[in-house]
Amino acid sequence: MTVEATTPDGERMTLNMGPHHPATHGVLRIVVESDGEVVASCTPDHGYLHRSIEKIGECVDWPMFVPYTDRIDYVCAMNANLAYCVAAERLLQTDAAHPVQVPRRAECIRVLVAELNRISSHLIAVGAMAMDVGAYTPFLHGIAQREAVNDIFEKLCGQRLTYNYVTIGGVAFDLHPTAADEITRFLDQFEREMVRFNKLVTTNTIFRDRCAGVAAVSAEDAIAWGLVGPNLRGSGVDFDLRRDESYGLYGELGVQVPVGQAYGGRKGRVGDAYDRYVVRLLEIMESVRLCRAALQLLPPAAAKASDPVGGWQADVGKLLKKPPKGAVHVRTEAPRGEMGYFLVSDGGKMPFRVRCRTGSFTAAGIFQKVMRGIFLADVVAVIGSFDIVVPEIDR
Amino acid sequence: MTGLGHAVDTLAAWLAGGPPGFVATTLAVLLVWVAPLLLLVFPLAAFGQILERKIAAAIQRRVGPNAAGLDGPLRFLFRCLLFFLPRDRQDRAFAAFCNRRWVTSLLLLSRRLGLGQFVADGIKMLGKEDIVPRGADGLVFRFAPYLALVGAFLPWCVVPFSQHLVMLETEVAALFALATSGLVVVALKMAGWGSGNKWSLLGGMRAVAQLVSYEVPIGLAVGGVVLWSGTMDLHAIVGQQYEPGVFTLLGWNALQSPFLALLAGVFFVAGLAECQRSPFDMAEAESELVSGFNTEYSGLRWGMFALAEYTEMLLIGALLATLFFGGYQSPIGEQWIVGLPVVLETLVHGLVFGAKVTAVFLLMMWIRWTLPRFRVDQVMRLSWLVLVPICLVSMFGLAVSLLAAGGTVAGAAYGRVAALPRPDLGWPGHLVLWAVPVLLFVVLLRIARRKYGQVHPALRRLTGERA
Repeated sequence: MTVEATTPDGERMTLNMGPHHPATHGVLRIVVESDGEVVASCTPDHGYLHRSIEKIGECVDWPMFVPYTDRIDYVCAMNANLAYCVAAERLLQTDAAHPVQVPRRAECIRVLVAELNRISSHLIAVGAMAMDVGAYTPFLHGIAQREAVNDIFEKLCGQRLTYNYVTIGGVAFDLHPTAADEITRFLDQFEREMVRFNKLVTTNTIFRDRCAGVAAVSAEDAIAWGLVGPNLRGSGVDFDLRRDESYGLYGELGVQVPVGQAYGGRKGRVGDAYDRYVVRLLEIMESVRLCRAALQLLPPAAAKASDPVGGWQADVGKLLKKPPKGAVHVRTEAPRGEMGYFLVSDGGKMPFRVRCRTGSFTAAGIFQKVMRGIFLADVVAVIGSFDIVVPEIDR
Repeated sequence: MTGLGHAVDTLAAWLAGGPPGFVATTLAVLLVWVAPLLLLVFPLAAFGQILERKIAAAIQRRVGPNAAGLDGPLRFLFRCLLFFLPRDRQDRAFAAFCNRRWVTSLLLLSRRLGLGQFVADGIKMLGKEDIVPRGADGLVFRFAPYLALVGAFLPWCVVPFSQHLVMLETEVAALFALATSGLVVVALKMAGWGSGNKWSLLGGMRAVAQLVSYEVPIGLAVGGVVLWSGTMDLHAIVGQQYEPGVFTLLGWNALQSPFLALLAGVFFVAGLAECQRSPFDMAEAESELVSGFNTEYSGLRWGMFALAEYTEMLLIGALLATLFFGGYQSPIGEQWIVGLPVVLETLVHGLVFGAKVTAVFLLMMWIRWTLPRFRVDQVMRLSWLVLVPICLVSMFGLAVSLLAAGGTVAGAAYGRVAALPRPDLGWPGHLVLWAVPVLLFVVLLRIARRKYGQVHPALRRLTGERA
């Protein structure tokens, strides 16, 4: 519901939400003009976490930039790795003389880790949103599941947060022998766990009433403001890069795309906070399916090949010393929406320009539009529903 | 005046030789009543905090506090008691005591349960700097926690812990409890205003709006019981719920009429709001207002607010038990307990009362760690559009059923516990008493189903149902 602010400009209270505020998910500052409990205007102010990552990209070798992509979005580092590597591969492929081939096993593993990381990232998103609305418990239940994913990744690459796992031309390490079983076991118990989670929060009347109809974004607005990913789909726009501009194995796997349909019931509107939340949960279900499918497709590890998953291929490394001149822009679907890399090469061993387009940036942009006239308590719920990760905004 | 109440008079008389009468009485009351009450309620409230952390941990599948045991406090106690010995002798005595197998295992268990946590927390709180922010209104800021504590403790004066343990027996006990607990509103507003912080101010505003709104349903719920019992004396209300026979609980107010059961529910919900507990913790919403009115408080002053909150939770439990669930009376076999020697009887009654309060306390925690928070407008709507109408209908129903019984219990002469009879309804009274509320309940349920029961078909998949 929205209420019109009635107090004249001069008598409103300016509230500084952040840069240190529990609900801004990092160091984001939001200047809120409030008329009592009602928000009159809202201006996001970012830049507190700017680390010049794009500039760093111009100063390191092509493969050396992969660990920096981890830091752009640390909640889903696998997807960030993948986005950059797919873009770099596409750049190398512009030179028809040296086709870079990613082994099929590596492609399967990429889908597997990307979807597992999407699950764990969405768990943070929905859990944190529930926490912002005042339910602390679901967040920790989500974290417990995220830990299980982290355990799988730790066995895979030795890291729990920033993986540096996907490489240009493949993935760094092969799955360990029992990984497939472990992942299957995780997915089985995870599905049961999500049923409990959803019974606890998603269908909870208080939670639904808090989020339904709040900060609804129409499909036109979502497109006009450049929303991407679950935020865009929450507004009812049926668009997913995995399906519509597929890369890797996604075309073969066939991705089902959930969209917002006013899930909130009586008060719900298409594109409200509850829709964005539910779309994430439905995407988690879809990711579970994709993981299972990827495990089905996984070719057996070649017994003799020394590097069955691409790894740090010597010939790719050689190519990257002297990549073809030119520019590519490749978009991939990360949990926070489109993660696109625009890479410009001048033929040198370092990129001429690395530009990263991320989902949180535009999501933070639309705050000033949707937060007018809502209650102060809803501001945090809306921030949660857009699933902001601040380093992704600032980079 | 019985039991300890008598002791006050004796002590006052004994002291009267020295200081003037008023001072003597005050001193006596302080010594005999206030000190034990504080000694009883303070540790309970402090213990409530650790209980809450443990329960939260269990609900969230964590371990919770599991390092601080009671061995540290015990060693401290040894050193205090054996202050005349050198340090090494003290420690040797302590070690000798602890080396007993059962002591060791008990102390280890206390560590596993984190029982010493509240001691550690208390010491930490005492050691913290008492910060008054530069922009704060110093006096208001400093005074608010005391007022909160007073507001949380005063109502305990009229709560009957057992037949012989009532600090203040008065005809207006229920009114007294409601009135004094209202002090907390002022305290929260003062804290919110005095902090010189906009978030705190918002918290204070929310607190006042919420508490004032919820005092209406709470007052009406208490009013319903008063209408039924014809007295505001809490002790008399407890006595009236006495039922001879094995199943004493059949006499409890909550089981006398569905209307009273409904009022008990309203009292509990409004009570949650009164002590700022989730899902009504608007005033200190961590994720929105960064703990609202107590953002700027530190150390002991913050501790006072925390203590006041827990004391108030216990108080809501105590009043709920007293008004609706037979107070200190045991659910079964009360008649044999009354026959016990006074000390034993008091002990059993105290334990039973404690168990009832704890049950409510646990229920509050369960709710807190399960439900999300309401929004401000939803809180107001719940109070004025749901709870207040339920209260009014219930009171009306109670009045009608009392009239149908052919008697006017309301306004009955104030009498002592046993003298006041419970209203005896004829069959028409019982018909109204049961048929109307059951009908009402069915209608309400249908409305609620219509309003909230429909889940979008796509969500069925998420909750594991077949679509």
